Amino acid sequence: MNPTRNMLRHGALVLLLAALLNVQAQQTPTAVQPRTAAPPQAQPQPQPPALKFAIIGDTGTGTKPQYEIAQKLASTRAAFPFEFVIMLGNNMYGGESPKDFQNKFEKPYEALLSAGVKFYASLGNHDVPDREIVYKPFNMGGKRYYTFKPKDGVRFFALDSNYMDPKQLDWLEGELKASGSEWKICFFHHPLYSSGEKHGPSLELRKVLEPLLIKHGVDVVFAGHEHFYERIKPQNNIQYFILGNSAKLREEGIITSSEITAKGFDTDETFMVAEVSGDEMSFQTISRTGKVIDSGKFRRAERKGATK
Amino acid sequence: MQRNSTMKRTFGCVLFLVLVAATVRGSGSQATTSQQATIPQDDLKDFQSRVQKYLAIQKKAAGSVSSLHKGVTDAALIVNHQHQMADAIRALRPNPVQGEIFTPWLRGTLTAAVKGQVQGKAGTDAKATILGEGNPKSPESPSPSKITLNGEYPPKAPLSTVPPRVLMALPTLPEGLEYRFVGRTLILRDTRADIVVDILPNAF
Repeated sequence: MNPTRNMLRHGALVLLLAALLNVQAQQTPTAVQPRTAAPPQAQPQPQPPALKFAIIGDTGTGTKPQYEIAQKLASTRAAFPFEFVIMLGNNMYGGESPKDFQNKFEKPYEALLSAGVKFYASLGNHDVPDREIVYKPFNMGGKRYYTFKPKDGVRFFALDSNYMDPKQLDWLEGELKASGSEWKICFFHHPLYSSGEKHGPSLELRKVLEPLLIKHGVDVVFAGHEHFYERIKPQNNIQYFILGNSAKLREEGIITSSEITAKGFDTDETFMVAEVSGDEMSFQTISRTGKVIDSGKFRRAERKGATK
Repeated sequence: MQRNSTMKRTFGCVLFLVLVAATVRGSGSQATTSQQATIPQDDLKDFQSRVQKYLAIQKKAAGSVSSLHKGVTDAALIVNHQHQMADAIRALRPNPVQGEIFTPWLRGTLTAAVKGQVQGKAGTDAKATILGEGNPKSPESPSPSKITLNGEYPPKAPLSTVPPRVLMALPTLPEGLEYRFVGRTLILRDTRADIVVDILPNAF
């Protein structure tokens, strides 16, 4: 046997094996590894300016509590100038006539709208999608689900959890994959984790959505639907919040023995304000009477839990 | 002789590895389509053809009414536009018949597809999702829910949440149409005109 020819033959086989193994490595999902902080840079990177925003959920009642929360939100902005508000669905209850838009959104939030504060809505089970998605003040761009990037380093994904079809899942995967290493914040109506006695977690939704969120390093998820506030202990490195009580309240709605609750509050309506600065997010959840009922700070890469 | 047998062995190994890689590559794409694969192809094609026929009507209706400009802030214009769409579709489709799209020969397949996702222990959550809050006939949030073909979806009624597994089991719909439930009745809803296009009673 010609040694050279033999070597060439075996070399070709080794190359082919390497190529096939590479194909398999791409197809085999790798286990989720805890994300670690980026290695220190030779020169410090300039931090993008902090991003401030507010969160409200299940608001569209047109009732006194909605107005009271709206007023508290507006007055909070004087000390904490948030740039926009995300809405966690059920933006309008009991019909969507032109008067409903006025009474359940335009009038309660008139002060903020006049000040140029943008609202980004997601859809709840009481919302009429094709009226709300084209309503400019909701900034949905004619879509049931969409993404926006208010500042470098932070991207939001608004989803339609009422109708999570394969098309939406494919869209989300593509967008998450393309978003790189920036903060990824998802918001939608039905919570994947919840200690609510009435609704509880949306397990069907969790099955299809959570793997994507984990795979692509989503940092924070806000959801509504349950009419109370709950900060969930981080699940698979994702920080979950429920805030479905910005106009409606289900008193004693939280199962107090739940093991996933980091903080629960079900005795008054609330809203939240949050700030993203570099790798940290801080937040305050404020009640209708102005009391701070929860607050904290966590890092993107290594989340150690809230400080209070 | 020895050289030939070595070559044969090498070739055999390579062929085996290629076949293994091809199998691994192929298996991932089956998971998302296996549920829809239970619908016979001819029925699926017929369903899609009927859906497209309806969407042609919807498109024609949209062309006959003044379009909404981007960035509309006046909710009255939005509501009015939807009503105009509904009226235009009714004019183009004056005598809808139940079963035009959820045809009698597809009915069994569709109900089997839904039932398959809501039965037993595995389907408990999906069933609770469909029948729970958001369903106009749910005991938690009962709403006026009279459903008629070409009729407006009840204005004050919420829209049921449709579980992902049910959406994956039913034929995919293009933009402009969606599945919803009223009680246990599956409806086909025109999202642009907010009207009921077809009805499948007792879907599970």
